[in-house]
Amino acid sequence: MGNYLIRRLLQTVIVIFGVTLLTFFSLHLAGDPTLLYVSERASDAEIAETRAKLGFDKPLSRQYIDFVTNAARGDFGNSLRTRTPAFDLVMERLPATIELTLFAMFVAIVFAVPIGILAAMNRGTALDGGVMLFAMFGQSMPSFWLGIMLILIVGLRLGWLPISGHVPVLQPLFEGHFMVAFENIPGAINHLILPGVTLATFSLARNARLIRSSMLEVLSQDYITTAKAKGLRTWTVVGRHAFRNALIPFITIVGLEFGFLLSGVVVIETVFSWPGVGRLVFNSINQRDIPVVQSAVIFFSLLFVLLNLLVDLVYTTLDPRIRLS
Amino acid sequence: MHEKLRNSLIPALLVCCFGLLMSACAAPSAPATQSAGETDAAASTASEETSDGATRVVVAQSVDLDTLEPYIISSRPGTNIYGHLFVTLYQDPGTGELLPYAAESYTENEEGNELTFKLHEGLTCHNGEPLTAEDVVYSFQRAANPENAFTGHVAGYVLDALGYVDARVESDLEATVILEQFNPLAIGLISDVWLLCKDTYEELGLEGASTQVVGSGPYQFVEWVKDDYLLLQKWNDFTLSSPFFDEIEWKVIPESSTRTAELIAGNVDIITNVPPDQHDAVNNSGKAAIEGVAGTRRIYVGFNQRDIYDDTEGGRAIKDPAVRVALQYAVDVPTICQTLLAFDCERASSMVNPPNDNPNLEPYPYDPEMAEKLLDEAGYPRGDDGVRFDIVFQAGQGRYLNDVAVVQAIAQYLTDVGVNVDLQIMDFNAEFVPALRQHDVGPLYFVGTGGSTWSGISDVADISEPQGSTNYTEWNNPEWFTRWSELSGTRDPERQRELLNEMLEIFYNDPPWLLLYFQPDFYGVSDRLDWTPRRDEVINLTNATLSQ
Repeated sequence: MGNYLIRRLLQTVIVIFGVTLLTFFSLHLAGDPTLLYVSERASDAEIAETRAKLGFDKPLSRQYIDFVTNAARGDFGNSLRTRTPAFDLVMERLPATIELTLFAMFVAIVFAVPIGILAAMNRGTALDGGVMLFAMFGQSMPSFWLGIMLILIVGLRLGWLPISGHVPVLQPLFEGHFMVAFENIPGAINHLILPGVTLATFSLARNARLIRSSMLEVLSQDYITTAKAKGLRTWTVVGRHAFRNALIPFITIVGLEFGFLLSGVVVIETVFSWPGVGRLVFNSINQRDIPVVQSAVIFFSLLFVLLNLLVDLVYTTLDPRIRLS
Repeated sequence: MHEKLRNSLIPALLVCCFGLLMSACAAPSAPATQSAGETDAAASTASEETSDGATRVVVAQSVDLDTLEPYIISSRPGTNIYGHLFVTLYQDPGTGELLPYAAESYTENEEGNELTFKLHEGLTCHNGEPLTAEDVVYSFQRAANPENAFTGHVAGYVLDALGYVDARVESDLEATVILEQFNPLAIGLISDVWLLCKDTYEELGLEGASTQVVGSGPYQFVEWVKDDYLLLQKWNDFTLSSPFFDEIEWKVIPESSTRTAELIAGNVDIITNVPPDQHDAVNNSGKAAIEGVAGTRRIYVGFNQRDIYDDTEGGRAIKDPAVRVALQYAVDVPTICQTLLAFDCERASSMVNPPNDNPNLEPYPYDPEMAEKLLDEAGYPRGDDGVRFDIVFQAGQGRYLNDVAVVQAIAQYLTDVGVNVDLQIMDFNAEFVPALRQHDVGPLYFVGTGGSTWSGISDVADISEPQGSTNYTEWNNPEWFTRWSELSGTRDPERQRELLNEMLEIFYNDPPWLLLYFQPDFYGVSDRLDWTPRRDEVINLTNATLSQ
């Protein structure tokens, strides 16, 4: 186990290095960032002066080496736009994104499990067909379109939920304002539903299909027939014998779910005006604010890799036959 | 029995979960936006009284501030907010004239390169620090200080365009701004320099100034929740004007359809950049209307005159002024405006915004027969395949209103008169802008360039040198540049007007641009609000009131 962990952590370093390399050079491939920081009437001299101020006058390789060296010491540099530490900007926006992502994960998992099991237990019925139809729609609809439709119908026409905005819970919690965090919960959920459901729909549909097919496979195993033959109740067979074994592929997906949902927040946060990391990254890419993009990408890559590692470790708990080597 | 009960557990669980979510929908609604620890700081009830009886107007813009440091602010949404937070020596009310603001008046020295401003008495910053000549000097020097490395609108453009050298205190209420030489645009440019209080900003330092604002204008800063909203409150001790609204909330809503939905829902009063496809939804809502205004941004097709295009048919053809005039007749600009921009615009007759343009010049009419005739006369008859010459037409995507549709229409109009156009759509920021800066787009290219209402000279300054940074076509008409040299040093307004008219006539007859239109700007405005948008994209709410 120890060797396995060390090997995986070393792989993580290589992955992060590759991520910085790709991000850095792809951002520079997209044109000279200096041009976004000068007036459209700026002279060549003014452009050169600004380029020097921003540090883009050095050779690209030098800039990259400086960045990696500083990043290794935990210094991701200052945002070009705000002049404040880039990593702090990411951390400031993180609570809002975590709220949205966790809510979407909650919806995508909690609803998918019973829906998938129900569909599997009622295979070939109208219920099963309905679930599959929903799953097909859920995976086919682009999230930005679904978001706008929800805004128009649920937010504007029916007036049931707020159209945009954010009420914080985690941030006051982290700052020690427990009462504020508690009082904000109803408003926070109110504001979370539309973006959360939009973000979760694809995953919910996919998870429901996955649980269904996984359950169907397990339910056809001999040991399930044996369990039934022993006279065990249906719920015991499904809950204790079938569902646990059907969870293995689902856990793999759930482990990657967080990363997948994080990639989706870029669009959702823009549509719903959610003040999270997704919007920060989107704006930073548009403004070629390279330190901020790098900080966010490295942070999320690290999170993604560690979550994958966690999933691998959970496998051994779920199925003792699995050995890590 | 038990089995039935258990079988119903899963659906029941589903129903419960759904019920929980729905109950959340019915939970008392918290404010749309708020900062930690201040649960009702930004309760948004657009244009209505807040819980403490204050009147509030809510504006939704597409982007947020990057920082609170005034001299890093560069975006229009940012300058809109800061225009309410800080005073300037003079101001541009958008009517075509520049008016005194913090300054009562100004005088010039003989050379015209030293401008001495006399301040109003009794001005203070929002923390009570008196605003004096020392603060004016400090503001200019702070913006220009290379150690501060500011790249915003004031430091990155205004001071350079001004030819700023230094500033000095003459007396408690008199400050002099020193320029390299006389600049006919000086007062207009100075109208963009926000005035800061020296002691306050020295105490704040650069780091403090990026997180706090102590302004000098009609509104004071209350709070900023990044990517969410910024709240301003009327400063009652402001002596130069008295705005109607007690509070202004500047919301950040990046997606245009979300802004529109919030306007129709009554949560905001003004939204910016409403796309034409959403106009009907707003106008039919019964709660708001679209206000369209011909902006100051000049949209045109440039005829790149550089020699690098001489090895192409089109590049050679557009070096002939007769061809460039002929192509003016080929494009139906009013139809483009009506069908693609949802606006009845008048075609531009020059590069200068009305009312500072030459009134004697009529916009070129749409007359394809005339275009064909002139092209024949210029020596470019149609060939056997109906083509007169091939030309590359480059445009960036997503920067200007319906830009791709507009350039496709222009390409078709040109094709109709026998010009075989190879239309190349590029990524605006990554490809088009870098090439434009190098004057490497074209030979035909589509672009828009900002203009002003307060001076025609400001608009023609785009073409101040044959290889100047904003003379993207590198058009080099000696008669134009002779007059420009005189104009930029002339202090007599009548002579300035004469020279400007002559220059615009030269431009008209030897056009480096295929003249199109001034880009319309569309605002969604709540019926509850009495506010008129300006042509220059500036949102000034000091004169906004509630509708009667």
